[in-house]
Amino acid sequence: MCPSDEQPPQVSSVWRGALDAQAFDALFRECAADVHGYVISLLGERSAAEDVTSLAFERLYRSRSRLDHRRGTPRAWLFAIARNAALDELRQRRRRPRGDLPQEISAGARSSEALDAVERRAAVGQALAALSPREREVVLLKFHGELSNAELARALGISESNAATRLHRALTRLREGAGRLQREEVA
Amino acid sequence: MRIVPFPAGPGADPDERWLAELEAALSGEAEGPTADGWRELRADVRAMAPAMDPAFHERLREELERRVVRPAWLRSRTALISGGLATALAVVVAVVLVTTPSRPGQSAQRGPAAARSTPASGRGAVESATSAPRAPFAAVGGEEGSPRAAAGTVSAAPGRVQQLAASITLSTTASGVQDAADGVARLAAADEGFVESSHVQIQQQGPSEAMLMLRVPSARLGAVLASIGRLAQVRAESQSLQDITDAYSAARQRLSDAEAERQALLRALAAATSEGQIASLRERLLQSRGTIAQAQSALHSISQRASTSEVEVSVLGDAPVRSEGLTLDRGLHDAGRVLVVAATVLLIAAAALAPLALVLLALAGLARAWRRRRREHALDAA
Repeated sequence: MCPSDEQPPQVSSVWRGALDAQAFDALFRECAADVHGYVISLLGERSAAEDVTSLAFERLYRSRSRLDHRRGTPRAWLFAIARNAALDELRQRRRRPRGDLPQEISAGARSSEALDAVERRAAVGQALAALSPREREVVLLKFHGELSNAELARALGISESNAATRLHRALTRLREGAGRLQREEVA
Repeated sequence: MRIVPFPAGPGADPDERWLAELEAALSGEAEGPTADGWRELRADVRAMAPAMDPAFHERLREELERRVVRPAWLRSRTALISGGLATALAVVVAVVLVTTPSRPGQSAQRGPAAARSTPASGRGAVESATSAPRAPFAAVGGEEGSPRAAAGTVSAAPGRVQQLAASITLSTTASGVQDAADGVARLAAADEGFVESSHVQIQQQGPSEAMLMLRVPSARLGAVLASIGRLAQVRAESQSLQDITDAYSAARQRLSDAEAERQALLRALAAATSEGQIASLRERLLQSRGTIAQAQSALHSISQRASTSEVEVSVLGDAPVRSEGLTLDRGLHDAGRVLVVAATVLLIAAAALAPLALVLLALAGLARAWRRRRREHALDAA
C-alpha cells in the first residue's frame, strides 16, 4: 500500500458514488504505490511507469463522471485505466518488459530468514518471467490491484469464468515454477 | 487453527471453489499453510516491483491537487458541453421566434402605416389651371360639405375635372371574410354607390378572400373609405387621381361646335330656295344630329368618370383570432407557440443527428474493438 505517516481516510470511507476531491485524494494515497508497482512490473522501466501512473490518475479524474459504482470500485476502474495506458505504452514504444527487475532488499538483511526470502523471491521472479505475457499480466493485476474476479474480468475485457480460468492457470504455473526453481537451487 | 468454511458449496465448480479459497486467503479470512502460501506469493510478487520514487510521488500529488482545485465549471466538461448546447438551442429558438410572424393583429396594425399610398392631389394641375371654366359635372375636391376620409383622402383641386380611384385591403379572420364583404356592399349602397363586381371565396382548408369592385360618388369617396376601414384591420390602402380636365373640355368643345353647326344649318335651311339646296342641307342636318349625339355621349362618359370613383376592396382571411392586450389567453398562446417551435427545432435536430449519431456510435464501437485488439497484440508481443 501507499506509504504514509499519517492516517489518511480510506477511499471506501469517503466514496459516496461520486469521485469528488476528497475521494480522489484518498484514492491517490491508497493506490498510487500499487498502480506504480503494477505498471513498472508490466513495463520494466521506471520513467515509463511514472508516465503511465500519472496518466492513469489524470484519465481517472477526467472520466470520473462516467464512474459507475455498480460496475466496480474506483480502485478497479483505476487499474483498468492503468492497464490500458500501459498496453498503449507497450504498443507505441515496442518495449519489452525486463525480466530482471531490481530486487530491493534492505542492506541490513543478513538473517537466514532474509536470505530465504531473497532466494524465494528470485525463484518467483524467474517463474513470473517464464509465464506468457497474458498469464503474467493477470497475476500482476490480481496481486497489485487486489481486484475481485469480476473486476479482473472487467479490466481484461473477458468473462468472469475466463478470468477465473486464466488466473487459476497462471497462479498454478507460477507456484509450480517457483517451487521447482527453489528445489533446483537447494539441490 | 481456525476453520474457515468454503464460501462456495460442495457442488460448486472446481474453478469457483479454488477462486473462493484464493479470495479467502488473500483477504486474510482463511488460515493455514495453503492460505499462508498464497499470501506469501502475493507479497513476493509485490516486493519485486521497485518502490515508487518519493520525489515522483510528491510531484504527482502536487500536480493532481493543482488540477483538482481548478474551478468547478472548468473541471466539468459535461457542464460546459451541456451549457453550450442549451445556449445554442436558445439562440435557435430566439432566431426562429424573431423571424416568424408572431401574434395576431401585429402585422395588420402595421399594414396601414406601411402601405398607405396617397396621390399628390393634383396640386400642379390646380396651379396651372385655376382660371379654367368650372365644369358642370365635375366631382371635384374642395366642395363644401364633402366628407373626408379619416386619413389619406385625395384632396381634389377646385375648377379641375379629376378622376379618382382607390383600393383598400382588409385583413380579418377566415370566418369573417363573408361578413366583411357584406359590410362593404352595404356601405357602398348607403353612400349612393353600388357593387360593380364581386368575388367571394370561402374555404375550410385554404385561404378565404373576397374581391369587390365598387363605384361610389367621388364626393363620398373619403367617407366610404373611412367606413370600410372600420370593418376590419386595414392591411393596405391606396388612392390615385387623374386629371381629365383637358379631355372634358375637348368633349364639351366638340359638343358646342356640333350644336353651333346645327344652328347654322338650320338657318341655312330656312333661307334655302331650291330643291337641291334643301335636300343637301337636310342630309347635313342628319349627319349633324349624329355628331351631336356622339359628342353628348362622350361628354357624359367623361362626366361619369369624374363624378364617380372606382374602389377596389380586397378582404383577406389570413388573420388569426385577435386578442387585445396582455391576457392569459395570449400568454398561453405565446407559451404554446414557444413550446411548439422548440419541439420542432428539437425534432429537426434529432432527425438530422440521429443517423449521424448511429454512424458515430458504430465507428466508436469499431475503434474501441480495434484499440482493444491492438493492446492485446502489444501484450502478446511483449
